[in-house]
Amino acid sequence: MSVANGAAPAPLLTVEDLSVGFHSREGVVKAVSNVSFEISPGEVLAVVGESGSGKSVTALALMQLHPRNTEITGDVIFDNMDLLSMEDEEMRSIRGRDIAMIFQDPMTAMNPVFSVGDQIVESIVLHTDNNKKEAWNKAVDLLAAVGVPEPKRRASQYPHEYSGGMRQRAMIAMAIANDPKLLIADEPTTALDVTVQAQVMEVLYDVQEQTGSAMMLITHDLGLVAGAADRVQVMYASRLMETGNVDDVFYRSSNPYTRALLDSIPDLETVKDSLSSIPGNPPSLAHPPPGCAFAPRCSMAIPDCGLAVPELVPVVGVGHASRCIRTADMDVAVEAPA
Amino acid sequence: MTDPSDRGSIDLGADDVSPYDSGAISTLEIGEPLLRVRNLVKEFPIRAGVFRRQVGSVKAVSDVSFNLFPNETLGVVGESGCGKSTLGRSLLRLIEPTSGQVMFGEEDVTLAGRRRLQQLRSDLQMVFQDPYASLNPRLPIRDIVGEPMRIHGVSRKEAKERVGDLLNRVGLLAEHGNRYPHEFSGGQRQRIGIARSLALRPKVIVLDEPVSALDVSIQAQVLNLLDELQDEFDLSYIFIAHDLSVVRHTSDRIAVMYLGRLAEVTDRTTLYDEPAHPYTQSLLSAVPVADPKRERERKRIILQGDVPSPANPPKGCRFHPRCPVAKDKCSQETPELTEVTPGHFVSCHFPLLAGETLLDRTRQMGRDVDISQR
Repeated sequence: MSVANGAAPAPLLTVEDLSVGFHSREGVVKAVSNVSFEISPGEVLAVVGESGSGKSVTALALMQLHPRNTEITGDVIFDNMDLLSMEDEEMRSIRGRDIAMIFQDPMTAMNPVFSVGDQIVESIVLHTDNNKKEAWNKAVDLLAAVGVPEPKRRASQYPHEYSGGMRQRAMIAMAIANDPKLLIADEPTTALDVTVQAQVMEVLYDVQEQTGSAMMLITHDLGLVAGAADRVQVMYASRLMETGNVDDVFYRSSNPYTRALLDSIPDLETVKDSLSSIPGNPPSLAHPPPGCAFAPRCSMAIPDCGLAVPELVPVVGVGHASRCIRTADMDVAVEAPA
Repeated sequence: MTDPSDRGSIDLGADDVSPYDSGAISTLEIGEPLLRVRNLVKEFPIRAGVFRRQVGSVKAVSDVSFNLFPNETLGVVGESGCGKSTLGRSLLRLIEPTSGQVMFGEEDVTLAGRRRLQQLRSDLQMVFQDPYASLNPRLPIRDIVGEPMRIHGVSRKEAKERVGDLLNRVGLLAEHGNRYPHEFSGGQRQRIGIARSLALRPKVIVLDEPVSALDVSIQAQVLNLLDELQDEFDLSYIFIAHDLSVVRHTSDRIAVMYLGRLAEVTDRTTLYDEPAHPYTQSLLSAVPVADPKRERERKRIILQGDVPSPANPPKGCRFHPRCPVAKDKCSQETPELTEVTPGHFVSCHFPLLAGETLLDRTRQMGRDVDISQR
């Protein structure tokens, strides 16, 4: 499946038919089902979805950070290396150097008993020939680059002495310490207030622009996606529902779920009488419904939707694809943007 | 959600008077506020040392005054730690306010004794943020929703019937009454919390971040439900939230809080179209909008620094250290909440004029401001 393939140079990351299953008492719970996508160098790919849609699990599987009782199938090719077949040792040399991750909660992602500077130094020393002193100086520079005031003093402080926004900046500093080719940011600003979120996103954009790294931005916030992403991937109940460039997905969506999601958020600039809500709840992944997982909640569902899982089919737009058998019946001329 | 036609009959219709009416607002005249909050203050002591001596205090809510009118939704927005939840809780005296008045009709809630407070709470109810922590995991839903009625002396039989009606009304089934909270999803739990708050036919419900724990698709369901219930039961809401889009959608008027104080209070259109407080403008500009083209065109003002600690708030205007257009006066004198145009209250020495943007003002003053535009 190469529908998600934009017109771009050789992709940095190619994910082919990735599935992730967790063993549980109720059998294997498939958190990610047959997901394929690519990320080109320097591109921002946003992965959106509600909780439990499999967006974070996808990222953890790429980084090989999943728990032991996990079944992973498919191929993950990063920079001509097959990540899934790598030994732990090899993977460790890539993690934090070529691929770095920014987590939602910096308080639990950092070690509370080491100073912030020491933690950045650790990741530098591990992947380069720098000695500790050089690494420390570099750490201070990195903290300055992400906008931590008084970086010299702050480097020797501990994570608890940082505020939420500062901690997230420190985590970004740590992530970019070795100029990664791919940054995976998993809900990087969800724990932050809007004014601080704006600061941190600004840092992320700057960093990404300067280093030219690609970014996979995982979020549930469609506003953040609209402002940050080149391409968008919408996930629902472990599958990709729609993928395409940001304008295609927001203005010319060919998927009932994406549309319903966009319609259900209140808008800051206009007032709607009532929100169009999506009835029901997301399905249980242990017992997914047959056919399209969204069908039970979909306003466009027809009996055929329950027969088989629909394929991701190309629709109008470069690399734009939607998983819905009624794609052809959808009126694509969505409201023209102002 | 159940079909509206099979909600079942409800004896909580708008015309019959609730038997639990506290009587506090029986003489309310048209156009008069239902709730008048005056100079409300809540400070939490900071204790230290062996003798737990008080060494300071966290000024969570400082001198907050506002009115709530019948049938109105007043949104309270602000960032974490601004005191919005503390404000909501002090109104119902779930935490005791340090000083100030909360007038419910002619009666001061802050002076009510224990028994009277219990009666008053049948008119003043609350829905909590966390649908997991706010329902007792060991009680079946029927007891959770029925408990307020039991406390207020409704017979078991009647309570049972009404619990069924309430559950129907919030989009659950009467049979769900036998189940326990863990059997429900987050959205359903929030519906249960709403049913409980409705049990005594309240007049005012304080909704503390009622949808922030929910996914967007579920969030819309709950917001629509709250909207319907408001019309049906003549409710007034105080809607506390950090999400400005949600507040704009639900509220008639909006109060913006910053570090324990009200920064601006006005109707939602004025607030979003002509925000007069520099904080309101920067807050609005920071919110991402789910529209790629608009996002590309927007100029975002990036505020410097973090919200200061409420234990040691800045002198003068509490926003002045982060305000890009602050002047000397701002660091010395605390601005009062004043009415700049009818119904539009701002606490700023130099409020932005209609049509004036924070960016204009900053440039005019020759200040540097961090602007993000993608």
